[in-house]
Amino acid sequence: MTDALFWYGCNMTRHAEIIRLGTHMLEAVGVAAAPTGGPSACCGSPKESTPRIAEGMANRTMNSFNESGAKQVITWCPTCHMNLDDFMGATQGKQAESAHLAQALWQRRAALVPLLTQPVARRVLIDMHIGNGTGVNEAVPGLLRLIPGVTVLDHPYRAPSYMCFGLASIPGALADAKSNMLAAMEATGADTLVTIFHSCHRELVGLERTHGIRVLNWVHLLAEGMGLPYEDEYKAWRNSDDPEALIGAERIAAAGEEAVRKLVLPELTRPR
Amino acid sequence: MGPGERMVEPRYSNWTALRAVESARMLAACTACGACFEACPMIAYVPAAQGASAADTVRGVLAMLQGGQGDEAARGWVAACTRSAVCVPACPEAVDPMLLLRLAKFTAQENGTIPPRDAKDAMSRVKAFARLGFSETEQKEWL
Repeated sequence: MTDALFWYGCNMTRHAEIIRLGTHMLEAVGVAAAPTGGPSACCGSPKESTPRIAEGMANRTMNSFNESGAKQVITWCPTCHMNLDDFMGATQGKQAESAHLAQALWQRRAALVPLLTQPVARRVLIDMHIGNGTGVNEAVPGLLRLIPGVTVLDHPYRAPSYMCFGLASIPGALADAKSNMLAAMEATGADTLVTIFHSCHRELVGLERTHGIRVLNWVHLLAEGMGLPYEDEYKAWRNSDDPEALIGAERIAAAGEEAVRKLVLPELTRPR
Repeated sequence: MGPGERMVEPRYSNWTALRAVESARMLAACTACGACFEACPMIAYVPAAQGASAADTVRGVLAMLQGGQGDEAARGWVAACTRSAVCVPACPEAVDPMLLLRLAKFTAQENGTIPPRDAKDAMSRVKAFARLGFSETEQKEWL
């Protein structure tokens, strides 16, 4: 019997440290949540162009949640979060309460505040998007303002979509969002761009190398405030001249050399 | 709440029923006023929609929802929707245009009106990153 699940989604496998940190933070505020995700816990979204397949994946995941006995499903991915409430919940019903990680931590901020002991001197602008029903646009700024030393700057710009993923396949849309976000950073005097979701982090970490700014996820920043060590390997790989060498032959062999060459390295070496 | 009890009961028996009921509701409610089109931040990225009639483009989306081809502006808009959700409060008839475009996209991809998203490697890539970043125990327990 599982008390709570931390449903991190599928594309978060690029960011193992965020899953570890998120799980640790939940535990620190009193929620013992078992991480679950990857292809076997898919919301069906990647296969939405074939709804019959997407439905099968979503049903399998919802059934496993309902059968787990979990009273809470803590989400990360906004697509999963929305699907949980619309297609999945509407057709399978829900046995568990659900909230995004940021909401879950914000609701328990009384337990979080005493743990935020490390000053973090950063002036941050958050990569906000217009749309999402997850409540994170309210919770994330609130959480960051709890960290001693952090200044959260306000700017009215909001990128379209609910995260960068959707913009990446629309010609010009992601480039405009990056350009507008950099202009907002300059206008506010921010030194750090804070991403909310994984796809935004994936798309924006390259700005650290090309524009001399810091790019952190909100969980990283919270971890710094709590004094928790972490390593953002995806960012290091993405900004390396030679990600293959940085990952190392031994890890590549263990992960499957053919798959890494075909699926991982092209993503890490694409234009920033 | 006891074992097996649901805190939210299902409203539809499956996705086909959801699509059928919601499509009928939206087709009945939508007046093609075009407020959703005018509010959408993605129109700027749809070349065929530049200068297009908002009402005609919405009618094109309604046609796609029913299995038709729509016009070029409607096809471009459906393909470019990234669920910003600005259209939802803009709609005076509570149609939920974001769901309208999503369901129109389902149908359009099923009948070949717009090309499906290429996601054939998506899950293999997810697994490859997991093997790189997760420990063996994490792979066993988290996936």
